[in-house]
Amino acid sequence: MLTYVIRRILILIPMLLTISFLVYTALELTPGDAVSALINPEVASRLSDAQFAELREAYGLNKPFIVRYGIWLSNVMQGNFGHSLAGGVPISTIFLDRLPATLELSLVALLFSTVLGCILGTYSALKRGSITDSSLTVVGMIGVSIPEFFFGLVALLIFALNLGWLPVGGRLLPGYETIWDRVPHIIMPAMVLSLMMTAGVMRYARSSMLDALTREFITTARSKGLPEWRINLLHGFRVALTPVIVLIGFRLPLLIGGSVIIEQVFQWPGIGNEFIGAVRGSDYPLVMMIALFSVFAVLMASLIIDVLTALIDPRVRLS
Amino acid sequence: MLNQISGIALAAGLFMSSAGLVSAQAINDEPLSDPRVRQAIAYAIDMDTIVDTLLEGKAIAADSMLPNGPHKPAGLNAYAYDPDKARELLAAANWDSDRELDMVYYYGDQLTADLMAAVQAYLSDVGVKMTYRKLEGDVGAQLTTRPTNPVDGISNIDWDLGYGAAAATALQEYYNPYKTGGTSHTPGNAELDGLIDAINATADPDAQRPAYFAIQEYWNTNLDALPLYYQQLFIYESNKLNRNGHGYGNEQYNYDFGIVDWTMEPDANGKQIMYTNTAPPQFFELPWANLGIWITSKIVFDKLLSADGSLAVNGSQLAESYSVGADGMSVSFTLKDGLTWHDGSALTVADVEWSVKTALRVPNIHAVVANTFTSIDGGQAYRDGTSDEIAGIATDGNTITFTMSKLDPNMLLTFTQFPPLPMELLKGTDPIELQQAAYWQNPIGSGPFRIEEVQMNDFVRYVPFENYHGGVAKIDEIVAFPSLDGDGNLLKNAGAGKMDYGFTKNVADVAALEAMDHMRVIPADIPYTRMIWFNKFARK
Amino acid sequence: MSSRSLNKKFDKILAREEAGELSSNSGSRALKKLLNNRLALVGLILFSIIIFTAVFAPLFTSADPMKINLRNLSQPPSADHWFGTDKTGRDVFARVLYGGRVSILVGLGSGIIAAIIGVLVGAYTGYKGGWLDVIALRVSELFMSFPQIILVLLLVSIIGQSLINLMIIFVLTGWGGMYRMARARMLSLREEEYVQALQSFGLSTATICYKHILPNALGPIMVNITLSTAAFILAEAGLSFLGLGVPASIPTWGNILNVAQEIRVLQNFWWMWLPVGATISLFVLSVNFIGDGLRDATDPSQQG
Repeated sequence: MLTYVIRRILILIPMLLTISFLVYTALELTPGDAVSALINPEVASRLSDAQFAELREAYGLNKPFIVRYGIWLSNVMQGNFGHSLAGGVPISTIFLDRLPATLELSLVALLFSTVLGCILGTYSALKRGSITDSSLTVVGMIGVSIPEFFFGLVALLIFALNLGWLPVGGRLLPGYETIWDRVPHIIMPAMVLSLMMTAGVMRYARSSMLDALTREFITTARSKGLPEWRINLLHGFRVALTPVIVLIGFRLPLLIGGSVIIEQVFQWPGIGNEFIGAVRGSDYPLVMMIALFSVFAVLMASLIIDVLTALIDPRVRLS
Repeated sequence: MLNQISGIALAAGLFMSSAGLVSAQAINDEPLSDPRVRQAIAYAIDMDTIVDTLLEGKAIAADSMLPNGPHKPAGLNAYAYDPDKARELLAAANWDSDRELDMVYYYGDQLTADLMAAVQAYLSDVGVKMTYRKLEGDVGAQLTTRPTNPVDGISNIDWDLGYGAAAATALQEYYNPYKTGGTSHTPGNAELDGLIDAINATADPDAQRPAYFAIQEYWNTNLDALPLYYQQLFIYESNKLNRNGHGYGNEQYNYDFGIVDWTMEPDANGKQIMYTNTAPPQFFELPWANLGIWITSKIVFDKLLSADGSLAVNGSQLAESYSVGADGMSVSFTLKDGLTWHDGSALTVADVEWSVKTALRVPNIHAVVANTFTSIDGGQAYRDGTSDEIAGIATDGNTITFTMSKLDPNMLLTFTQFPPLPMELLKGTDPIELQQAAYWQNPIGSGPFRIEEVQMNDFVRYVPFENYHGGVAKIDEIVAFPSLDGDGNLLKNAGAGKMDYGFTKNVADVAALEAMDHMRVIPADIPYTRMIWFNKFARK
Repeated sequence: MSSRSLNKKFDKILAREEAGELSSNSGSRALKKLLNNRLALVGLILFSIIIFTAVFAPLFTSADPMKINLRNLSQPPSADHWFGTDKTGRDVFARVLYGGRVSILVGLGSGIIAAIIGVLVGAYTGYKGGWLDVIALRVSELFMSFPQIILVLLLVSIIGQSLINLMIIFVLTGWGGMYRMARARMLSLREEEYVQALQSFGLSTATICYKHILPNALGPIMVNITLSTAAFILAEAGLSFLGLGVPASIPTWGNILNVAQEIRVLQNFWWMWLPVGATISLFVLSVNFIGDGLRDATDPSQQG
């Protein structure tokens, strides 16, 4: 088992290196440099070329490519992720500051959607062919057919502006005292995000459950005269659980990528919001690190899935 | 050789101005360098209708770069909508109807996109094809990279038309960038250079007026940039805010708006909390470039002098007194006694001196400020790095004196806008990287409010500074969210009752704010002109 | 000599086999199943209506989607303007129809191109094996390691915004899934006896791949195309919202819907966003219904 894990990790490293190199190269090829993106165009229109050159030098944009990549990579290895070009803020600071916000939002949404999706999916499978089953399927599909920003804006219009029940955005209540002061802020973004995510889980849970229910031992259990609810709950759900774990693993990347647009709609100060800002402002170091970080998260997630699957099914280790 | 060329250019300039028709032709292969094409575009766009409809009557069609006022001559051609005239001029200039003009802009709001669509339709109506796009990424360089040869060089930018604006603290700013070598789009021209020098020659408004008349008349024919409309500024307030008699002014800059006296209707807990916007998304911006746009620049940093709503000096802030030399070539300030920064350390003339010297070496400071500081005796050399001393700055106890080597008509204006920063906290920093200092995560200032809590990209809380020289502010707390005018968040926050004060130039915001019962909107006339730039350099 | 005649013989057999097996049997069975699936049928009808009205937009409206009319701004729906006018007085109905052309082109076009590339690469490298296969696999892993939206935004920041660039980006982010599926099928089919037989007859790799193996995978390919089309249409709208999609001067569903960002529009001018929002959702929904039906029709293990 250990060798399997080590082997998997060894595959990861060249992968990460390649991606870091590609991301770096690609961003180097973007037109222009970041200097003037930092400056209000109305101000920039008055800068002389010499002043631009000064700024470029200051930001280290004049060294050869490979040197720049090397410097950057060795820094990253030492835990120094560099600085955001715009304000010189250390990227590690930005991560520490914004990541909790994103994780908080995504985890709530992921948990809620997984639970809701599993319940609905299982129910759907048990009631297969019923009106409930098909309505759930249709509702789920409608759910994934609405652009998420649009869904968010309409929710915001109704619950924050028209009804005034929930705040329009932000993460913390200015001057908050208890943890409960924060709850109203997360409700709407987390709900919108979960509802958009539920349909996928529901479909998956439904087909896994259907699959499980047709397995031989269920049929055996049934023939032994066990009550139907016990069969469904104990055997069916347990078998369906493995794919659900896999599903959660697959959805881990959503922790970083899933909330980008919703963060924008609800002014949520997370990593996705930061990423959009960085892309708009050509803040290359920040764009790079966030992209790299998200890849890292995905690869780690897939590592965990593989290890888990290997634990469950020893055949995988040998292949 | 050089003299010869400028001599010819000068002669050509004189000749052109004496015979208007001769100037009406292209100066290079680029048809946009032909004034008739630019005039045709001016005639083709129905600005009055655009103002009435798209801009909802909340702007004024422009006939000059300068706003309406005593400095504007009578009889300027307003280029009222006349598509036939436009077609005529285009025909005279042999306009190639296959040419597709590339228009760029950098504002992200819907209104700008709509305006672009309208301009596109008007141009297409007279047979000029135009497509538009929003610049992304390195916007500054795409707008401003100048040609190597500023007179008859090859363009270094890839657009034909640019939609932009000029906001001016001083009226000269509308024209100063157009001096030879100053822009990416307008070839240097000796006649224009002369006209620009004339408006900068004196600080006396009466003496300036004829020079302003002359340059506007020149511009009215040449349209080196096409002024479209004068933007109003809109200050909005919730009905919970009471300014207690303090007036309104040019909110984009720093003026004496009396925030210390403002009061808010207390909330359920009896606290007076005022909500506003323009909190930073990632770091606080150095307040030397965008002088008064961010709430932090307004309330956390004090300046030496104070200005009224139209940015004329009306008193002092950090200075106890100030005096200007008889010829306007020097100014000295005596600081109030016992001034401190928000951390309790003393604020002295050393901070002021350090700030001015540092600002000279920070690349992106506001043009008016930069112009004042380089006019100080030795300032230009210090900026260029050829000297490490500035002869023109002298301190004596609590007094600091600046002696100028050339007249700057906006010297006092600069000191109403330029806040000194605490030397002790920043002195090791290379001026070029000043903005990168950790200080900007939670700056220490000198103004009536200090920063209490920063949740970056979420909100910033400000509380009154207990030792403020002008008395402790009455509002208990100011909370700022990181939204800006034109982004949707302003209206969301206002709709939810979390926006008590701010300003916007976006007329769509204004109409929506006016529709809210709990908000009031106060228009302010500011010098802010939206325009179309023409790239008149020859293309590659 | 002998191998050539064998080839000929074999080709004849094969031609018969193909014609018999593919077109008459499994194809029509799948189609029948698809048509029996009520949701899929609804989807197919909706899909056809939207495509038809978009492609033949001039038949349904005489209005010019780009024509502004500043004296007729923000008008509610009327006989002249079925969906009213937008904030520059353009006809919203015409914009939705013409915008559909671009959005469908981006969505469906990118979906199809991504599928073609994915299948070609997957089938070929999967069949060939060796270093080519390893490289393709690694490259696809590279692309698939990114969360989708992060990769899209990263690419937008690198190559910039335009219609073509957006399609390139969607293809780049979308080909991986298709590739993997095609490759996996190829790997298993490669071991099948009849393929090995074909190979021993000296048929070229390409012929074997595309003539004999691909048709078997047509069902999943179609499902994949529908799924990615739905995703791309939504992504286009999302990118417009972020201001990073197709340039605003081109009407697309995303760009039209984007006005909903303005709270005032959202509150007061429902006709500017509701019809286009509904159109996007209906189109995506129809594509999803079709995809679902196709999946049921072609994949016997997923009946239910």
